[in-house]
Amino acid sequence: MYAAIVFLPLIAAIVAGLFGRFLGDRGSQIVTCGAVITSALLSIVAFFKVVIGHQPTTVMLFDWIVAGDLQIAWALRIDQLTSVMLIVVNVVSAVVHVYSVGYMAEDPHKPRFMAYLSLFTFAMLMLVTADNFVQMYFGWEGVGLASYLLIGFWYERPSANAAAIKAFVVNRVGDFGFALGIFGVYLAFGSVDFATVFKASPDMAGKTFHFLSWDVDIMNTLCLLLFLGAMGKSAQVPLHTWLPDAMEGPTPVSALIHAATMVTAGVFMVARCSPMFEMAPFALNVVAAVGAFTAFFAATIGLVQNDIKRVIAYSTCSQLGYMFFAAGVSAYPVAIFHLFTHAFFKALLFLGAGSVIHAMHHEQDMRHMGGLWSKIRQTYVLMWIGSLALAGVPFFAGYYSKDAILESAFAANSGVGDFAFAMGLAAAVLTAFYSWRLIFMTFHGHPHDHHHFEAAHESPPVMLIPLYVLAAGAVLAGIVFAGMMTGHHWQEFWGSSIYVAENHKVMATFHDVPLWVKLAPVAAGVLGIAVAYWMYIRDRRVPAGLAARNEPLYRFLLNKWYFDELYDWALVRPAMRLGRLLWKGGDGRVIDGLGPDGVSATVIRVTRRVVLLQTGYVYHYAFAMLIGVAAFVTWYFAVGH
Amino acid sequence: MIADIALALPEIFLAVAAMVLLVFGVYAGEKSTRFVATAAIVALAAAIVLVLGRQAATGFGGMFVVDAFGSFAKILILVGTGLAIAMSLGYLRDQGIERFEFPVLLMLSTIGMMIMVSAGDLIALYLGLELQSLAIYVCAAFKRDSTRSTEAGLKYFVLGALSSGMLLYGASLVYGFAGTTSFAGLAQVLQGGGTPIGVLVGLVFIAAGIAFKCSAAPFHMWTPDVYEGAPTPVTSFMAAAPKVAAIALFMRVFLVPFGGMVEEWRQIIVVIAVLSMVLGAFAAIGQSNIKRLMAYSSIGHVGYALIGLAAANQEGVRGVLIYLAIYLAMNVGTFGVILCMRRATGYSEEISDLAGLARTRPGLAAAMAVFMFSLAGVPPLAGFFGKFYVFMAAVNAGLYVLAVIGVVTSVVGAYYYLRIVKLMYFDAPAEPFAANTDRGVGVVTVAAGLFTLFFFVYPAPIVAGAQIAARALLP
Amino acid sequence: MQALLAEYLPILLFLGIAVGLALVMILVSIIAAKQRPEAEKLSPYECGFEPFDDSRKQFDVRFYLVAILFIIFDLEVAFLFPWAVTLGEIGVVGFWSMMVFLGVLTVGFIYEWKKGALEWE
Repeated sequence: MYAAIVFLPLIAAIVAGLFGRFLGDRGSQIVTCGAVITSALLSIVAFFKVVIGHQPTTVMLFDWIVAGDLQIAWALRIDQLTSVMLIVVNVVSAVVHVYSVGYMAEDPHKPRFMAYLSLFTFAMLMLVTADNFVQMYFGWEGVGLASYLLIGFWYERPSANAAAIKAFVVNRVGDFGFALGIFGVYLAFGSVDFATVFKASPDMAGKTFHFLSWDVDIMNTLCLLLFLGAMGKSAQVPLHTWLPDAMEGPTPVSALIHAATMVTAGVFMVARCSPMFEMAPFALNVVAAVGAFTAFFAATIGLVQNDIKRVIAYSTCSQLGYMFFAAGVSAYPVAIFHLFTHAFFKALLFLGAGSVIHAMHHEQDMRHMGGLWSKIRQTYVLMWIGSLALAGVPFFAGYYSKDAILESAFAANSGVGDFAFAMGLAAAVLTAFYSWRLIFMTFHGHPHDHHHFEAAHESPPVMLIPLYVLAAGAVLAGIVFAGMMTGHHWQEFWGSSIYVAENHKVMATFHDVPLWVKLAPVAAGVLGIAVAYWMYIRDRRVPAGLAARNEPLYRFLLNKWYFDELYDWALVRPAMRLGRLLWKGGDGRVIDGLGPDGVSATVIRVTRRVVLLQTGYVYHYAFAMLIGVAAFVTWYFAVGH
Repeated sequence: MIADIALALPEIFLAVAAMVLLVFGVYAGEKSTRFVATAAIVALAAAIVLVLGRQAATGFGGMFVVDAFGSFAKILILVGTGLAIAMSLGYLRDQGIERFEFPVLLMLSTIGMMIMVSAGDLIALYLGLELQSLAIYVCAAFKRDSTRSTEAGLKYFVLGALSSGMLLYGASLVYGFAGTTSFAGLAQVLQGGGTPIGVLVGLVFIAAGIAFKCSAAPFHMWTPDVYEGAPTPVTSFMAAAPKVAAIALFMRVFLVPFGGMVEEWRQIIVVIAVLSMVLGAFAAIGQSNIKRLMAYSSIGHVGYALIGLAAANQEGVRGVLIYLAIYLAMNVGTFGVILCMRRATGYSEEISDLAGLARTRPGLAAAMAVFMFSLAGVPPLAGFFGKFYVFMAAVNAGLYVLAVIGVVTSVVGAYYYLRIVKLMYFDAPAEPFAANTDRGVGVVTVAAGLFTLFFFVYPAPIVAGAQIAARALLP
Repeated sequence: MQALLAEYLPILLFLGIAVGLALVMILVSIIAAKQRPEAEKLSPYECGFEPFDDSRKQFDVRFYLVAILFIIFDLEVAFLFPWAVTLGEIGVVGFWSMMVFLGVLTVGFIYEWKKGALEWE
């Protein structure tokens, strides 16, 4: 069964990818949707078996690499953490698959799109079921590939190609760290197998590598390298720049890959490696600090964006920051819990945005929208549900997880924890604000583009039903699972899949924080909504006035803190200059001149001579053989032996 | 006696099958070719099953050795022959030489090869070698009406006879100085060191004989002419299974009876390997006929395989066996593509006819590209791993120079492999080929391509099998 | 040295007998038979060819086919002699080995017969 969960999407991807032309659009949609829905149902079964039935297991598929000490197997590690991820990945993926049938109805390349989606699902499943670092890396790169293909799906658009390349290149930076981390793990532990490494981690705490003339702490180094990978994949500052651009891809892709699943891989990895991170206090602090800063930073940019998808993309970035700082204060279950709820409501928001875009004939700029609520009532309600969950309004999913995160940060009772709490609280206000800004700009007020407004239409059921499924998750995921995943008996739920060191007591103490801490997030949410209401419904001149009065700040935010410009100036341009120099001067003049051109001329001269030996006469050939034998025999007589 | 027969059951079974098919064919006439070929493939498959069922043992008074090493090589040989037969029918029909003797001859040759790799005695060795060669001489001249084919057969026969003579002369010298022809006996006599020069000279002659069979330089001269002249299915067969058999034999002879003289014979093996690699890399560049090109390519690959022999340790043997398995697949696949180079006017063998293939036949071009990249040793294709394992063995055995020469010649060799890729993908299309109608060629080529492409995903069975085989040869 | 030469004594004897026998046959024929020599009779016999002619001359390839087929069965008979002499010592295994060998040759024989290799036209 476990193998079926993972490999059904692969089979579907191969079938739809290679034989899509024969199957036709409908055939490929049926194959891929069928496979992923089956996987989703099976993962629910797996969830009950593993989590409720307490039967974590490892399915050995076969040996992959056996070279000396390095032994790597293909195996599926199905423990509690994995089965939660299986639910997230497969359910969201199934929903997105179905939604895509409607959303991509006018696209000429449906089989290719469905095949990519299924391929992505397979790679993601490979990542979450990995039993060792190398297998995880395989999945990690696999999702990167699928993400690249999907961002650049509309390859006629130059911007889509640029975004795809940017995503790939920025991820390479992170992946390089991850790869170094894996090498380091093998160097330190002599194995890349999770079970072996995690078992040996406590003994490794405090030991050092001797590198050049320094002694560096092993666990901190390894965890920081691994976290570098997580930063790339999960779009944390300063490797976040690819995520907003990735919105060039079709909206279902944004929902699946850039909201619910792939970008959370980093959080998953940190949780998976909790036995290592627990031994690396410094690395944990870095994780918390980076997460907290990203949560706030991304939210500030979200305030001023006008592209509906970009607002949600920055929101994703920010929410991922929450997850990281939860993990950074050792509240891994809370981080995963937020990952879990976030997957539902963020996918809902994205798909809802997709529904809006669909209704507006692929118009994404919110300034051209307005007053849509009467036209697309169902989408309107669903977007409300998503936003309520995102803002952490009580009894929606986000309320439970975000509260838990902020409480854990507070309960950590450390410098980093307090910083994270402050940042998180500030971000919560901003989150609520930009969410309702989005709703008000899109659905309320007066239509700005009458042509589009008149033509706006509600999406077909094939798109709305998936939205209802996600909405159900956005409403219920928190209330149902909060107690199980993050309650006092969290260990019963997670079993041994998440490890928290004895001296890290956040998981036990965060329930007992002062009342004001518990209420603060809700208050922050309400405040944000109220401000948004005031600025975008009551007094519409305020935003423009604010922007005009604080011009530099507004520019700063609108230009995303000038990160892209900074990279362009500090990295891209010098690299281009260096590249040009090496290309023209180094490669063209020096290497081509001496190397290939010179060498190839020599090779051809040698070849001409060698070919002359081949005369075609049998007696020449026989003579050559005899000469050969005679030479060898002479050699032995001459040299002796 | 019964135990001996049980030990050689795969060979005996194949021999009986070959004779039955021969008699059947001669009664049923020419139209039975397709059936005989199918039956031959079934018999080869059955022989694989029988090979797998053998327990390691020695029989026929030490003449015949069954061990994991021999079984590994035999399976490769049987697979190679089966694939060659499967690919041959369409070509034979088009050329008007669809005779039932062809599969039977290949079967007989296969029996010879199986005896070669199982030889436990110089006499058994010769017996197998001759049976293998005689059948191939006939096959090379199979297209009797073509002067090129008969020339190829005759050349191969005359030079083969010379090489057999050398081998026999060497064997008689060894017998004269060591007093025995059995491998076990030789190993015992020669283990102490202080080898008489006569044995060494005999060994040189034996090496020459075997090197001729696996077309290693400087005993390779027949290869380009014969490969070019022989009918393409025969070439595809010659480049695969007999090569496996000859190199396996090389390893068994040099590592078992002469295992005590590694330091002495390593010198000539190194020279042979280097010459083969260099020649294979350089001479191929000037070729315009794809079959000649593959001839030089095969010379080069034999050189790489011999690196593993020069390492003379378990790792080296393992490397060579892996190399042979991979080489077999790449080679069969490449010849599958060559067999698809067919126009209404007949088969083409010119490299220039591949120009622009990517536009006229994208699938075929992709397959050829995979094989070319793999032959060049580009990771992650299978060919890379073949080279990787032998080079590693050489490095671990301290043969750094050999490994470096191997890498350098690989780079030179990559030039002509990649030139074909360039030709297919970037040049203006030549007149397109006719669609392939032969299912055998299609299936074999696709299978070989998939193997080459995806070997790295799951190399464990072949690597593990080669490991077991190597341990059987060099405990 | 003496002993070595002694071993070759039987050969010497055979040689003497052979030479003697040949001489006797020629002498008896000269003495007893009528002599009518002519050119054809005096020329050495060489199955169908001119004895003294250009050696690079075309001839029918079927001669070779017959010759090769003959050699195979000739060798078979040559094998049978030592086998027959030692049959008592090599026992059942020896007997059946030869039967298998003959069987293999028979397969070849059937093949060449059916192929028409034994027919001149």
